Order: sequence, then C-alpha cells, then structure tokens
Amino acid sequence: MRGFGFGGRAVVAAARSQVAGPFIMLALVVVFAALTTERFLNGQNLRNLGLEMAIVAIIAIGSTFVILTAQIDLSPGSIVALTSMSMAVLLTKHHVSLELTVLLMLLLGAGLGLVNGFFCSYGRIPSFIFTLATLSVFQGLAFLETDGTPIFNLSPRLEHSFYGELKGIPYPFLYVVVLYVLAWAYLRYTHGGRRIYAVGGNQAAARLVGINVNRVRTKVFVVAGTLAAFGGLLMSAQLNSGSPEYGRGLELQAIAAAVIGGTSLFGGQGNIVATLFGAMIITIVQNVLNLHAVGTAWQNITTGVIISLAVGIDMWRGPVARAIVSRWRSLGRLRAAERVAVEEQAASPLAAPRENVRTRP
Amino acid sequence: MNEQPIWEVRDVSKTFPGARALDGVALRLFVGEVHALVGENGSGKSTLAKCLSGTYQPDSGQILHRGELVELRDPSAGQAFGVATFYQELSLVPSLSVVENVHLGRLPGRGGLVSWHAARERAAEALRRLEVSIDLDRSVGELSVAEQQLVEIAKAISRGDSTLLILDEPTAALGVGEVERLHQVVRALARDAAVLYISHRLDEVLSVADVVTVLRDGRVVDERRAAGTTMQAVARVMLGEKLDDYRGREDVAVGDEPLLEARELRSEGGANGASFVLRRGEVLGLGGLIGSGRTEIARALFGADRLTAGELVLEGRRLRPRSPAHAIAAGIAYLPENRKADGLFFNLLAPANISIARLRAVSNGPILNLTKEGRRARALARELRLSPGAERRNVAFLSGGNQQKLVLGRWLFAEAKVLILDEPTQGIDIRAKREIYELIDELTKRGVGIVLISSDYPELLSICDRVAVVRDGRIVHTGARGDLSQHDLIELASSGELGAAA
Repeated sequence: MRGFGFGGRAVVAAARSQVAGPFIMLALVVVFAALTTERFLNGQNLRNLGLEMAIVAIIAIGSTFVILTAQIDLSPGSIVALTSMSMAVLLTKHHVSLELTVLLMLLLGAGLGLVNGFFCSYGRIPSFIFTLATLSVFQGLAFLETDGTPIFNLSPRLEHSFYGELKGIPYPFLYVVVLYVLAWAYLRYTHGGRRIYAVGGNQAAARLVGINVNRVRTKVFVVAGTLAAFGGLLMSAQLNSGSPEYGRGLELQAIAAAVIGGTSLFGGQGNIVATLFGAMIITIVQNVLNLHAVGTAWQNITTGVIISLAVGIDMWRGPVARAIVSRWRSLGRLRAAERVAVEEQAASPLAAPRENVRTRP
Repeated sequence: MNEQPIWEVRDVSKTFPGARALDGVALRLFVGEVHALVGENGSGKSTLAKCLSGTYQPDSGQILHRGELVELRDPSAGQAFGVATFYQELSLVPSLSVVENVHLGRLPGRGGLVSWHAARERAAEALRRLEVSIDLDRSVGELSVAEQQLVEIAKAISRGDSTLLILDEPTAALGVGEVERLHQVVRALARDAAVLYISHRLDEVLSVADVVTVLRDGRVVDERRAAGTTMQAVARVMLGEKLDDYRGREDVAVGDEPLLEARELRSEGGANGASFVLRRGEVLGLGGLIGSGRTEIARALFGADRLTAGELVLEGRRLRPRSPAHAIAAGIAYLPENRKADGLFFNLLAPANISIARLRAVSNGPILNLTKEGRRARALARELRLSPGAERRNVAFLSGGNQQKLVLGRWLFAEAKVLILDEPTQGIDIRAKREIYELIDELTKRGVGIVLISSDYPELLSICDRVAVVRDGRIVHTGARGDLSQHDLIELASSGELGAAA
C-alpha cells in the first residue's frame, strides 16, 4: 500500500507539472504527423517547419510575458506588418543602411509596445480593448506608407543576414534557442521575472509589497513589441519584401501557443518552455494540414479545436488525475474495510437498515 | 434535559485525504438553545457544520432530525430540512438590491415571471424577524459590512421554516457595537430554531451561547453550560494543555526618540488632521469604530492614499509617501486587513512570498539565488513556527494562522522600520494569535515601531503600549495601556470624549 501511495503522488505531481501536459500533447502530435503524413519527416520539410515556427515562437514569448501579468496583447500581428513596411521603405526609398534599419525597427517595436503598455497600465484602459485599437491603428499605419502596395527586392544581403547558417544550423533556430533561454532565465532568476509573476498572481498584494505595478505591466508590452518587431524583420528577410498584409493573425497564433502551453489567462501561472511546445504544436498541425492540401477554412477550424482541447486538458488534468488516484486508494481502503466489516457486522447495533433513512422531509 | 433534540449527530467521522477531520463526534442541538462550537483552526468545526448542512457527507455515523435518521446528500437536502447556513465569506451580489439578494437564485414567481410583490413581502418579513430596518431597494454594495451580514442572515432564514441556523464566524468583520446587535438577532432567532454558533472569540461565545462544545483534533473533548464557565477554562480545554496566558506585553524598553511622527495628516481617503508619535520599539494601537478612519490613516502613512496636508517625519527626516513603493523603500510596511485578497501570492510558494518585499537579500546583483532564498525561508519558517513543510505547500492550503505568519514574516525579512498591522488576528485561533503577539514582541525588540489597528478592545489593551482612539479620521485621545479601560475605549470611540464620570 505504501509503495502505491508514493506512486500515486508521483502520478499526480507529474500530471500537475506545467510542462508535462504540453509535452505529451506535442509528442502525440509528432507521432500522429509522422504516421499519417509521408513527407512530414523529410529533411527539407522539417527545415521549413522550423523556419515557420521560429516567428510564431518568438512572438509567443512576448505574449506569454503579457499574459503572465493578466493582460493580453492583440497587436503583435500589426507590429509585424508595420515593421515590415517601415523596413522596406527605409531600405528602398531612403537607402538607410541595413544595420541602422534593423536597430530602428527594434526601437520602433519597443516604442509601439511602450504605447500599448502605457495606456493599458497608467492609462487604465483594459488591454483587450486598447490593443484591439492599436491592432487596427498599426495596421492602418502600415497601409499608409505606400497605400498598401507591397515592396519587393529589399536588399540582396537581407536573407543571408537573417537566414544564414552557423555550422549547418539555420540562424532562426539559434534565435529561438537563445531568446527562449534568456526568457526562461529572466522569468526564473531575476527580480523583474519574479515581479511579473507577483503582479499576475495578485495585483493588490504586489502594490502593497512595493512593486510598481504599472511599470511591470508596461514593461511586458515593451518586450512583446520588440519581439514582434523582430518577427517582422524575420518575415521581411525571409520573403525579401515588405507588405502591410504580413503578420495578419499572428497574434492569435502566439496567444494560442502560450495558452496551449498552459499559461493562465488570469495571470501568474505559466511556463515559457511550455509556450515553445505550444508554438511547435500549432505549427506542426498547420504543416500537416498543408501537406494534405487542406484549405484555410479547415485549418482555422482545426486550430480553434486544438486551442479549446488544450485549455480543457489544462483545466481537467489535475482533477482527473486526482480522481483516478483517490479511486484506486478508496478501492484499497474498501477491501480492507470489508474484511473488518464482515467481522463486526452482527455486533453493531447502530447499523440501521437503509430503508429507514430519510433524504427528504 | 428530557425533551428530544431537534438535531442530533451520533458518532460521525469524516476523513479527507491525509487528514481525519472528524472522529466519532456526537452533538445534540435543541430549539431555543444557542450552541457554540469552539476549537482551534483545523479542529473540525466547519467540517461538522458542513455535515449538518449537507455540503459534506460523513464517512460513518448518523444524523437524526427529530429523532429520525436522515441522510443529507447535498445542501439542498439540508435546506429542505430547514438547515440554514451562514458562512464566514458573504455570498451576496453587491450590484443587486437587498430584495434580490435575499431571494438570490429562487425569486418567488410562476412560469419564469418574478412576483416582486411576494418577493418584497417575504424579504421584509425576514428583516422584521431580525428586528432591523434596511431599505429593500438599496444595492447591497452600498451597505456596511454589518448590514450585509444581516442581509445574509435574512437570506438564510427566508428559505422557510428554519430548524437549525448555522453561523460560521459571523463576527469576524464586525465592530463591538455591531457584534452586540448581531447577538440580539441570534438570540431572537433561537426562540424557534436551534442555533449552532462557530467562533474563535471566546468572550463572544460565552456571552451569546447557552452550551459550548469544544472540538480538538476532530473529537469532542468537552461540553459545558456557558453560564458559570470562564474563557480561561474553555481555552485550556481547547488547547489540551494548560494555557499559559499571554501575559500581555512585556515591558520592552521603548526608546525615547520618535521613530515616526505624523502631524495633522489629511488625505484624499479620509484622514482628517491625524497627529501622533510612534517611538522605536513601541506598539501604538489605533482603536475606533469601523468607518472611523483608522484604515484611512494607515493608508495615508503607507502612501496608498495621497496626502493633501500635514507632514510625516520618519527618523528625523520629512517624508511624503507618494506610493506604497516609496513608503516601503523608506521602511514603512502595511499588513492589510484582508490577507487573502491583499497579502498573499497564491501562485508563488512560501519562500517567494517571504522574499518578495526584499529580493535584494536573496540575490547576487539582479540575479536571484534560489538556494539562498529557500534556505533563508526555511530558517524564517522555523523562527515563525510555521507548520512543518509549509514552505513546500501551496500557500492557499495553509491555515489562516500560518498564512498570517507568512505575511508577517515577509516584513520581518524585509526589515521594515514601521509596521502597520490592520486587524492581524481576525479570524484566527488562540494559539496562532498568541504566536502573533509573540512575533509582535519580537519585532519591537528589534526596534520596529508598530501601529496596530484592531476592533478587539481587550487585544488593544493587552498588547499595545499606548492606544489612540480614532474618530472622524482624527485621533481624539491617546492613553497609555494602564490608564485606559475597555469602557473608556468604547466611550471615546462613540462620543469622542470621556464622560465626567471617567
């Protein structure tokens, strides 16, 4: 019995660990993809898959930060569009150097994030509303630059600079690894990271322990904006062009990645590694659907179903695991109790017949 | 007593994963009797109440109603038998009116249409039984906490003929006058139903109850008539040991130098010309009625409400706290009244809850040292006598006393100079209370100055060096502990001055 009790606890603990759920789901998705789709494990496909995943994964870091503070950011897709267009204009019309353009774009992203963060915290506008507004505004600005006309052939150096290889590993993989390690370390090992969890966990208490709640809430938007701008750079580099249409819907994929990774929309709960698994799951599913030539409509529907499943599993896995274990335990107890009961049955005067028990007056 | 009890519990046991909550408990409740249930946190009081209301089902044992065996499968079964429960946490909807709240979820009517006439009649009737007058159309959010509790009781008794009224810590948020009023209501209700009254405050229990049952570790260890027993005796049985009473504050050498001086503080929140001096190592009590402005003065000190006039001097230097962050950086900390809502981070474990106000102490530069954090937290947990292993458990599952110690420990760790405690012992049991008093002593020995807000007058008079009485956002009188009586405090709080007789 003792050994079982320990095992039961381990099962519950593993089921409750935040990374376990998304990891198991990822494993299932990969196995399913490999079994059903011939070209899935093909080297070139995996490579494309990785490149597609990189942008979602990078933007999802920002989404996770924002969601951890119990806010939401709907604007990253538009920031991608705006940086992609601004970059194209700077490179082709004003002939600014690539290095300076990259720097300016990251600053632009940080600035847009600052606008979001400032109004959502100091300005007390609910983030859902305000970033819905900036989603529209930023995209409008991206259209304004050339009246919506895409710009092609930005720079011959562009693709090589962002999509080169280091010892056979494409840069985007390195970006993802480096950014995720930094984000993980920041959340776990720095004052800033701890404050993000504190603000998301209990805003009133965070204020009372001396945390500048508004500053923390602003900061996460700056992080999200900067990373979205970086995503925009990668997208422009990949396609060697700029378009106000780029990035459309990316914010939802990034939020979905965070949520599939178990980040609670109520704030304070979430793990950045699980977000990476979430981004992988989303991209793999889309890749498989693409390989099977499934249309956009069904892709959207599938993504939606996966998000609800992931959130459902997240809500239920704790209780379900506990129910299974306690069921096992009570079966064990029952057997022990039955032995005692058989011996005592006749002796007990208190064992009233069930028929006499009233359940209603 | 020969008559039949209206409710009887026989040999009831209930086990939760990892804990035996009730172990062969027996209880007899009679109409016309207020039966108090006392015991430490975790002794099984609430579990027993929930078995009677149908929220929990006992693992074994029997519950009898008028001598007949009953099985309460769920709360609605309990209600059908006339069990009305009134819990510690109010379950009212602030934005709805009194009428709507009294009938919450079961407005009278037919075919989906509400009969507002019947609803008003019945709500008015319930309030009449409580002998109170509250405007039926006001929204509950506008009422005082005391009035809200009365609405909650009205809600409980309006469900038809009550046979048993269960009150779980009804007075936790009430001031002295309001407790007295509630007790009148309780006694009125006891005329035609049994009342089970759960509370930590033994003085109240003895004043309102006819019979007191003491639970310890899920067992009934004592049942006695309230008349003729003393708080001391009950407390002794509760703890299962001789309670060496908290002797009151040791005479800690209070420094002469002022630590914090408030001069004519006025704030947006409601401080209205408050002045006082707090010395190093001193406990200054703030007494007064609920709504007198005690909390508002505290909020002004802490930078939570903006000062509009007056000044603060901390250690000889002028201070104008702009924000809590600013006040904390200067060394002033505030322990909120509602520790669950405003104090704890349920998403963080105990070590992170302790270190959050002073992360620098567990860091190398900007980098947290989690090993060091864990070590310092374990050391502090021992010092605070947190229950073993508490630092690894989700803080939501710690007892109220442990949660409160955790929040106090946070400021011990952060080395605050001035600590404002808002109702620190509300709703926690005697043992934890005593430990918190000892912690206060410990803090003052280290030179911390403490401003203690409490509605518990005996508490103010036993653990404060001086007590200041607040009325209308100002301090109307300050006296040393020995110079004031409980009667003086009540008089000062309600009229603002001491009568000629005093």
